[in-house]
Amino acid sequence: MRVAREHFHNLKELPKTEQLEPGSPLCAGCGGLSALRLVHQVLGENVVWVNAAGCMTLLATFPYTPMHASWLYTTMGSAAAGAQGVRDALDILIESGRLPAEENLHVVVLAGDGSTLDMGLSATSAAIHRQLDFWYLCYDNEAYGNTGFQLSAASPLGSLTATTHHGATQRKKDIFEIWRAHRPPYVATLSAHDPLDLAEKIARGKELHGPKLLLSLAVCPTGWGFDPALGDEIAKLAIETGVWPLKEAKDGVVRHTYRPSRFRPVEDYLRPQRRFRHLFAPQRNEELLSRLQQQVDAYWRDAT
Amino acid sequence: MIRVRLHGRGGHGVKTAGRIVGSAAFHAGFHGQDAPVYGAERRGAAVASYAWIDRGPIRERGVIARPDLIVIADETLLADPASGVLAGAETATALFVNTDRVEALALPDSLRSRVIAADLTSRTLAALGRAAALSASLGAAAVRLLGAVPLDALLQAIRDELTAIGVAPTELGKNEQLARDVFALLQPLAFADTGKSLSLAAQSAPAASERTGGSMAQVGYEGVMRGTPSILSGGNSAARHTGAWRVQRPVIDPALCSRCGLCFVQCPDGVVSLDAEGYPVIDYDHCKGCLLCQRVCPVGAIHEERETRAW
Repeated sequence: MRVAREHFHNLKELPKTEQLEPGSPLCAGCGGLSALRLVHQVLGENVVWVNAAGCMTLLATFPYTPMHASWLYTTMGSAAAGAQGVRDALDILIESGRLPAEENLHVVVLAGDGSTLDMGLSATSAAIHRQLDFWYLCYDNEAYGNTGFQLSAASPLGSLTATTHHGATQRKKDIFEIWRAHRPPYVATLSAHDPLDLAEKIARGKELHGPKLLLSLAVCPTGWGFDPALGDEIAKLAIETGVWPLKEAKDGVVRHTYRPSRFRPVEDYLRPQRRFRHLFAPQRNEELLSRLQQQVDAYWRDAT
Repeated sequence: MIRVRLHGRGGHGVKTAGRIVGSAAFHAGFHGQDAPVYGAERRGAAVASYAWIDRGPIRERGVIARPDLIVIADETLLADPASGVLAGAETATALFVNTDRVEALALPDSLRSRVIAADLTSRTLAALGRAAALSASLGAAAVRLLGAVPLDALLQAIRDELTAIGVAPTELGKNEQLARDVFALLQPLAFADTGKSLSLAAQSAPAASERTGGSMAQVGYEGVMRGTPSILSGGNSAARHTGAWRVQRPVIDPALCSRCGLCFVQCPDGVVSLDAEGYPVIDYDHCKGCLLCQRVCPVGAIHEERETRAW
C-alpha cells in the first residue's frame, strides 16, 4: 500500500538535469551516491553542501569536484554547526541587501551514519533545538565505510564489520526517532530504489521551514559484500522485507509512505550479503535469524 | 629486506594479495609484514599495498618509496601518473604486470627490460568466473617471483587470508589451484639469503647499496591555505575518466529498449543520459562498470561485454 503523492507520479516527471558531474572516485555502484544524485536533482542547483567527513569526502578530491554547487568540508562532529554558520551568513547577506533573496540557497548537511548517529549527534541536536532552517541528508551504509567498514551505531545486529568479526552485538540506533523526539517539522526515510517516494518527500520538505532530516539507506557493495550490479535489488529487498521502512513524520506525526502488501522473509535480504553470511554457513544461526525477523515483525505490528 | 609494492584497483584484491605475501613469508619461516595504503580503497580506484620480508625483525613502517618488486594488477594504471605505480621503479629489481600485451605497455624504455608479464586476468576468469578476483593469482605471482617462499607456504597463506575475508569454503580450492598454476608459470628472481637477511639480487637495476635505507618518503607539513585547499572550478571531475575502472561494459540494444528511463534514474554516477528521442546513452569515458543498469532494465535490453582494452 502506497500513500498518494501530490508532486511526482511517474519517472518522466523527475528532473532530468544532472547536478553532479561524473568522474568522482566513489566506489562503482555506490548507494550513497545514488541517493545524493537523486536528492540533488530534486533540490535543484541552489544548494550549499556542508559535508561531514565520511565516504563523501571523496567527492571533492583536490583538484577535482563533481559539484557545481558550493561544498564546505567539516569534521565528522561539526557539520550541523557548519550549517548554522552558513545559514547565518546567508541570512545576514540577504537582510543587508548584499544578496538578492532569489539567490538564497538550501543549506544541506551531507553526512554518513557514523557522523549522524555517533560523532555529530550533539551538534545536530543543538541545531534542531535552535530550529535552524537546514536539511540533513544522511547516507546510511551502516558502518564507517570510508575507513574500512568499522562498526557504527547504525550497524545492524549480527552484521560483520571490520571491528565485529562475529557480528554486531547491539541493535541499530534509531536516529529517525531521535530526530522526531526533537519535533522538527519534517523527518523522512528514503531509498534510491523508490525515486518517486524520494522526490515527493523532498517536495514536501521544501514547503517547511526548519530542520529537515532525509535518512537514506545507502546500499554498500564494498562493505556489505555483494556484486555492485545487485545494488537496486538489495535496496528493494530492504523495503519489501520491512527492514527499511519508508516513512515520514510531519511535526512528529508518523506516516508510512509504503507498506508491503506481503512482507518477504528478512532472510531474503540478509542472504545475498557477505556481512550476514555467517548466519547461514557453516550452520544456520536460528536464534539470531529469528530475533532479526521478530524485530521487524514487532516494528510493523506497532507501525502507523 | 625485500620490499614489495602491489598496485591495482579497489576490488582486485590488492590488499589481500599483500596479506598473502606477508603471511606466506611468515609460514616459510621469515619475518613478514604487510599493510594496505589507507585513503582511497574504493572499488575501481587506484589502490596499493605493501609487503616486507626479511630474516630478522622488520621495524620499517610507512610508504615503500623504493620497492624491490612492483606488482601491477591493472596495466591501465600505467597511464595514470596519479596512481604512483612507477614511483621508485628506477631502482626496482623487477616489475610484474598483469597483461596480455606486454609490448604495448606505456613504459619508459629504461624499465622495459625488467618487466615480467603474465595474463592473470584470463586465468582468474577461467578459474573463478570473475576476472577481478585477483588476490590469489597476484599473491602467487609475487610470492613466486620472490623465490624464497615455497608453494605450501603460499597455499596455506591463501587459505588463511581468503577465509579471513569471508570467501566461501567452496571457492578456496579453486583459488589454490589458480595459485598453483601461476606458481608454475613464473620463474623466480634471483635472491640472496645470508641467514640473517634476505634480498633480491639486482639485475640491470642499480647497485644494492643504493637501494638500502631511504625507503621512507618524507611528508612535510603544509600551511593551512595549502593544507586545506579550495577548488574554485566547479564540476571539473569529468576530466577524470573513470571508464578505465570497468572490467565488463554494459551495452544497450536500442531495438529492445522501451525507453522507460530506469537506467537513467538508477545509475549512481549519472553517466546514462537520454537522447532527444528518450533513448539512453552511456558515457563510456566515465561508466565505472557496476552493471546496475543491466539488472534494473525491465526488458533485458542491456547486455555486458568483457573489456579487452580499457582505454
